[in-house]
Amino acid sequence: MNAPAGLDLASIPERIQTEVQRAIQRSIKGVEYIASSGPSLGSTPKDILNVRGTMNLYHYRPIADEIYRVPILLVMATTNRGYILDMVPGQSFIEFLLKRGYDVYMLDWTAPKPEEKRLQMEDYVLDFIPDCVRRVQRDSGETDVTVIGYCFGGVLALLYGSIFADGPMKNLICFTTPVDFREMKLFQNFSDRRYFDVDRLVDSVGNVPPEMILSSFEMLRPASRAASQVQLWENIWNDEYVKSYRMFDRWATDTLPLAGEYFRAITKDLMWDNRLYNDTMSVGGRPADIAKIKVPFLHAVAEHDHIVPYDAAKPLIQKIGSADKEEVILKGGHVSLVAGANAIKRLWPKLDSWLCERST
Amino acid sequence: MADKSNDPVAIWQNMIGEMEKGFNSFANKAMESPEFSRVVNQVGGVSAGAQKQLGELMEKYLLTMNLPSRAQMVSMAERLQSIEAQLNEIKALLHQVHHNSGAPDGGYPAAPRPPRTRRPPSSGGEQK
Repeated sequence: MNAPAGLDLASIPERIQTEVQRAIQRSIKGVEYIASSGPSLGSTPKDILNVRGTMNLYHYRPIADEIYRVPILLVMATTNRGYILDMVPGQSFIEFLLKRGYDVYMLDWTAPKPEEKRLQMEDYVLDFIPDCVRRVQRDSGETDVTVIGYCFGGVLALLYGSIFADGPMKNLICFTTPVDFREMKLFQNFSDRRYFDVDRLVDSVGNVPPEMILSSFEMLRPASRAASQVQLWENIWNDEYVKSYRMFDRWATDTLPLAGEYFRAITKDLMWDNRLYNDTMSVGGRPADIAKIKVPFLHAVAEHDHIVPYDAAKPLIQKIGSADKEEVILKGGHVSLVAGANAIKRLWPKLDSWLCERST
Repeated sequence: MADKSNDPVAIWQNMIGEMEKGFNSFANKAMESPEFSRVVNQVGGVSAGAQKQLGELMEKYLLTMNLPSRAQMVSMAERLQSIEAQLNEIKALLHQVHHNSGAPDGGYPAAPRPPRTRRPPSSGGEQK
């Protein structure tokens, strides 16, 4: 009987041998996987400059002999932990920035306590970010600060930048930041005002539980968790794959609760009324029009972002008032844009080449 | 080596990938409907309220049994994390002290910050 076209009969024993070895390795490494903890994440040396409730400000210790004049303040999304930007040595965005000679600070969040359920958008935009910027200025001795916001951290940075348009923000960089919330179609449907009673939810639970945030993210790709577990089992013999899986899985499931009043404002102002896109957004009675932002601006978006689809992020580049502005569309998804092998190749070098010219 | 079209492992992996895409796409279509939103929010609203009530009830029960609640355990874990962070700080300071062990009598100076004079590579600065 003839072999089917393309099938090399001579390679079959070799292939069987490989698969048998992998099957044995799977059994051994599977036990190791259950018995061991994952890699240590977020371990780049840092100093804690301030902790105030949910707000944490870190300063990463510079490792270059000479650094750029303008420090960077990273603003993390309020739904997730900041260590996505500082995974492990060699795969850490923070470490990359430090090696390239930047002075890096991060505004990170911890779970708001039940008594912090009253935190509002005003607290984040008019208090936490300005407070961190002041502390960065004091610590670095520099007036100018570059702000980088990831996902919803980008929205907070935009609101801050539009209200404090006269400074001290020198450059603004956003990663996958939505402005047209109508285009986040599934989130729109989950929060359809006809059926989603946000007042009742916030009044009954206080802070929105992390399980709810996590399920809403997972519902966007309901089959992906099961498929990734099948892939993990297939690749469990591969230490690098397992390390990477554990890092990203731990981060993705380490979701934070959201302060109740803050969640109410996001739902009503952004999801329902699309105020940022309609230029009617205000925070604490202060208009927040992104056209007022005039500083150099870079927006990095991912081609296959299922959380912030490109259509939701696209209008930002037109709406922002900066003359010096650029949008880069890179291959990858919402997370792989900023972390992992994809980011190391694409986003990080692009960001460095853009920012170094504007950091002196 | 056999090409991918005849490799059973590659076929299996491809099938899993396609099934994932297909199911996600199908589910996303279903989730776009208003009916889905209505049902999910009805169920979610009821379950959030019930969960809250159950949580409060459990807290009272655990208090009666003289046992810590989940919230207390989470709070304790956070305090432990904060203690760990402070220990790390102390370790870092000790490390710094160790490095500066030849420091003058007046005490140990803080680690010097590098100068803010770096220039971009294109303007003659060197990429270190």
